[in-house]
Amino acid sequence: MSSWVHLLSLDLAVVGLAALVMLLDALASLRGRTIGALVVAGLVGVLIASFQIDVTGTTPHGAYVSDAWVLFFKRIFLCAAILGVLGSIEWLDRHAPKRQAEYYALLLFSLVGMLLLPGARDWVLLVVAFELMGVPLYVLAAYAKNDTTPGEPKLAAEAALKLFVTGAASSAFTFFGLALLVGLSGSTSIAQGAQMSPLATVGLMLVIAGFGFKLGAVPFHFWVPDTYQGAPTPFVAFLSVAPKAGGLAALSVILMSTGWVGAKELWAPAIVVISIASMAVGNLFALPQTDARRLLGFSGIAQIGYVLIALAAATEQGLAMALFFIAAYVFTNLGLFLVVHAAAQDMGGHGIAEMSGLSRRSPWLGGALLVFLLSLAGIPFVIGFWAKLFVFLEAYRAGLVVPVIVGIVLAVVGLFYYLSVARQTFMAEGKSDEKIHAGAPLSAAIAVCLLAVVVLGLWPGPLVESANAAAAAFLGGR
Amino acid sequence: MNALNDPIFLAAVALLAPIGAALLLVVLPFVRHRGAPAAGLCIFGSVLALAAAVKLLFVHHELGDARFAVTWISAVSKPIAEIGLFVDGTSSSMLAVVCLVALCVQVFSVAYMHDEPPRGYGRYFAYHAFFLFSMNAFVLAPNLLQAFAGWELVGLTSYLLIGFYFAKPSAAKAAVKAFWMTKLADMGFLFGLLWLFVATGGFEWTAKLDPTVAVGVTLLLFLAVVGKSAQFPLHIWLPDAMEGPTPVSALLHAATMVAAGVFLIVRADPLFVQAATTQTIMLWIGAFTAVFAACLALVQRDIKKVLAYSTCSQLGYMVAALGAGSAFAGYFHLGTHAFFKALLFLAAGSVIHAVHSNDLADMGGLRKKMPLTTLTFVIGALSLAGIPGLAGFFSKDLVLASLEGRFGWVPWGMLMFSAFLTAFYMGRVLCLAFFGNLSHKAEHAHEAPLSMSGPLIVLAVPSVVAGFFGSTLAHAVGGHYEAHFVGLTPIVASAMALAGLLASIAVYGRNRDARVAGAIEGLDRASAVDRLWELGYRRALLGVSSVLGWIDRYVIDGLMNFTGYTTIEAGAAVRGAQTGRMRHYLVAVVLGAVLVAVMGLVA
Repeated sequence: MSSWVHLLSLDLAVVGLAALVMLLDALASLRGRTIGALVVAGLVGVLIASFQIDVTGTTPHGAYVSDAWVLFFKRIFLCAAILGVLGSIEWLDRHAPKRQAEYYALLLFSLVGMLLLPGARDWVLLVVAFELMGVPLYVLAAYAKNDTTPGEPKLAAEAALKLFVTGAASSAFTFFGLALLVGLSGSTSIAQGAQMSPLATVGLMLVIAGFGFKLGAVPFHFWVPDTYQGAPTPFVAFLSVAPKAGGLAALSVILMSTGWVGAKELWAPAIVVISIASMAVGNLFALPQTDARRLLGFSGIAQIGYVLIALAAATEQGLAMALFFIAAYVFTNLGLFLVVHAAAQDMGGHGIAEMSGLSRRSPWLGGALLVFLLSLAGIPFVIGFWAKLFVFLEAYRAGLVVPVIVGIVLAVVGLFYYLSVARQTFMAEGKSDEKIHAGAPLSAAIAVCLLAVVVLGLWPGPLVESANAAAAAFLGGR
Repeated sequence: MNALNDPIFLAAVALLAPIGAALLLVVLPFVRHRGAPAAGLCIFGSVLALAAAVKLLFVHHELGDARFAVTWISAVSKPIAEIGLFVDGTSSSMLAVVCLVALCVQVFSVAYMHDEPPRGYGRYFAYHAFFLFSMNAFVLAPNLLQAFAGWELVGLTSYLLIGFYFAKPSAAKAAVKAFWMTKLADMGFLFGLLWLFVATGGFEWTAKLDPTVAVGVTLLLFLAVVGKSAQFPLHIWLPDAMEGPTPVSALLHAATMVAAGVFLIVRADPLFVQAATTQTIMLWIGAFTAVFAACLALVQRDIKKVLAYSTCSQLGYMVAALGAGSAFAGYFHLGTHAFFKALLFLAAGSVIHAVHSNDLADMGGLRKKMPLTTLTFVIGALSLAGIPGLAGFFSKDLVLASLEGRFGWVPWGMLMFSAFLTAFYMGRVLCLAFFGNLSHKAEHAHEAPLSMSGPLIVLAVPSVVAGFFGSTLAHAVGGHYEAHFVGLTPIVASAMALAGLLASIAVYGRNRDARVAGAIEGLDRASAVDRLWELGYRRALLGVSSVLGWIDRYVIDGLMNFTGYTTIEAGAAVRGAQTGRMRHYLVAVVLGAVLVAVMGLVA
């Protein structure tokens, strides 16, 4: 047994951290902030360890694999969690002072689920990891149950319920599809589950539908704007990126596995349709939004549409660029949500109109917001430009001309609403000129995101290389 | 090697000095908010850039081309993108033109914009510095990818500059329009880029392509040019963009942003020569735009709009020449036009500053009040009209010569006619604004301060003499050129210019009620194109937006409210509503899953 436990050392460390948080909460009366700092320190330690210790290998029966692909995802999840926790510390302290340790513990459990996902090569492990990722999120979405920004309706219960019910329905589909696949093949191995029969195809499609939910892809996206609006914003910052990366990892593991990648003509059209629908619905429905969180919800749906084009290419480069895109998206969107959170606290709401004059009240938050918006819009020299360009390039190379045309056209629509938010923050007169002060942890999280978006935008090479290496390891080592 | 003789070092200075100034202005709010120091910093950056660019001209003359590129993004096997600087005759001369015009415009702006509050003033110069960087990054691009990045940044910063008076609704609208029209066309650039990469595995200026791919890629690139360089039918944003500050028009709509389109074709000429079909289309679109826009320029009351349509028309000349396969003719005209059109815009700005109106009816007799402005404007106008000996004459002549005999002389004839119109509308402006009786508003006009008239003088010099450097330029870009005054084209062109001027004097010289002008007003209907576009893009975008907003608000929410109101007692309305909505969501999830499953089966 000890021969492969080291493969899970990072995951186990996070489990330990979660247990420690709960123990400390029960036994010692630590301040919430201290626990938050401890969690951040622990996660940073795990992230550093991921570069230091060798965790590559395969479990005896091949149910779990750890390679460059898995590490790429693990680092993304860890970064998202670190930034998400940093962004939450002050909100928790102020709005849920008695329930802080639980928040961190739940988030860490969800993180463990994510960490296990990309390496799972067995249906049972994959699904358990997926649910482990998902269930704590339902609870976290309801965390603002007693609290709301003055003047905005209480939406926390609604937000959580929607996430939960649609999530449960999606899981039902996943399990049903899985029953078909495993039943037909008689094996729980993902690679061996591929059967070229109509029933197996239906099974696969139902599994895709189930995972499409976490991605927030159309038509499984309805929960997205409502949940984003009602759940605590710093949590939404995490929710809007990490589970999506998780969904991408799970989908890639299934679709690009030995059995299914050869039958890509079976599933690629479905992914293309979902991708086009997501880009269209996301971009077009974002246009009329007046609440920043809802707007970002729809914009996130659109961004997932772009990732899916790259996945539909079903090539090694396509997969690599999907990874690059999701990494870019994690830093950009997380940062953006945190800025919205920081601004909304002092500006009286999450409406786009409320963001007026942000650049004057806090030049640094305004500037950060602008950079993140430009990145999502795909303007040169920020990371989002490369993400979009690469995805289009690889999809085009794989012959997916129609989705690329749709994507390019809709990206222009996207520019419209991203820039209108920027205009509001920079050009419109605000109600007051009072300075806004985001707290130190929140500012640090935003600064890290900003740094990543700008530096990787100017010099995307290293990230491209590691994404390439990850995709190569995944496809080579299947 | 001495750094000052290193072309790459000089190019880097020209590129980095403006962005350095811009970044300093961003991170030092106290400088930006004070106004004047911001202008100083921006201008300092531009002076450095110009000095480097001018030195680069000489260095390039001695040492020849230079290329510096580092791998920007490497794929597993080979670099797919490089970033760097490419110095050759074309980029070094363009760089010098851009920096010179930008500097003149910035210096001019110091006095022109001085009524702005300090914050706005600082912001204005920060935009300027950033714009110059974007433009230089585009000009010095060693491959199409970097050019695309620069191109996009030029678009973004021009949006900021055109919409500088954002509080003014028409300015905000114009900025949005300019942005979207060019953005629409930019999709062509991106698509051409993707196609080029897939076909050749790189973004090189000089790639060898299959005939069909060549036509496809160049047509897509040309689409981007049509938008950026305001060619028919995407020209409509340019006149509206006159809402921006006048010096901005001088910069964007004379020498830089709109010229970027033409420069792109000049740069990518090795690609375009492989696609005869594209060149033919370019030739006709260019020729048509030249005539069409010149007609519209005849009837404008706003002095800036005359110049705006004139710019469309002159860009049409360049595009037509490029379509005829004469990249040098197009490029030469681009260079001379940059000088005299920037001069005209700045002189117009000086007039507007003095009269506080754009309307030609409010001007008149300004020559007595503003002799220096009048003199420089006349020089610019005559150069644009193509009076022999002035810069515009030589380049226009070369453009026309490149069209000799093509397609039964029809495009040649169109451009000749357009030359007549050009002289006519410039004569009209001269008569209405500078000669004749003093109008009421013009009575208190006075000559601009030296900081405004200085740039006019500086630009007037090349507007006169630039034509004589044609052979030097041709040598630098590896072509051959010899000015000539005798021959069919130069003689007809000169006759057209003179005839146009005389005709305008006959019509507008004495009486300013302009009866003949009334007959021409009919041409204004041509702006129906404008309205058509307006209808199209606004209705489409806003329509879709409002329909979806309506669906979001009333159909989805409405269904829920409807369920709520009808099925449950008051008080529980909200909860009932949630149930209703949730049901819809679940239906969507189920239907979606079924749909996906069916898709799998069909596939």
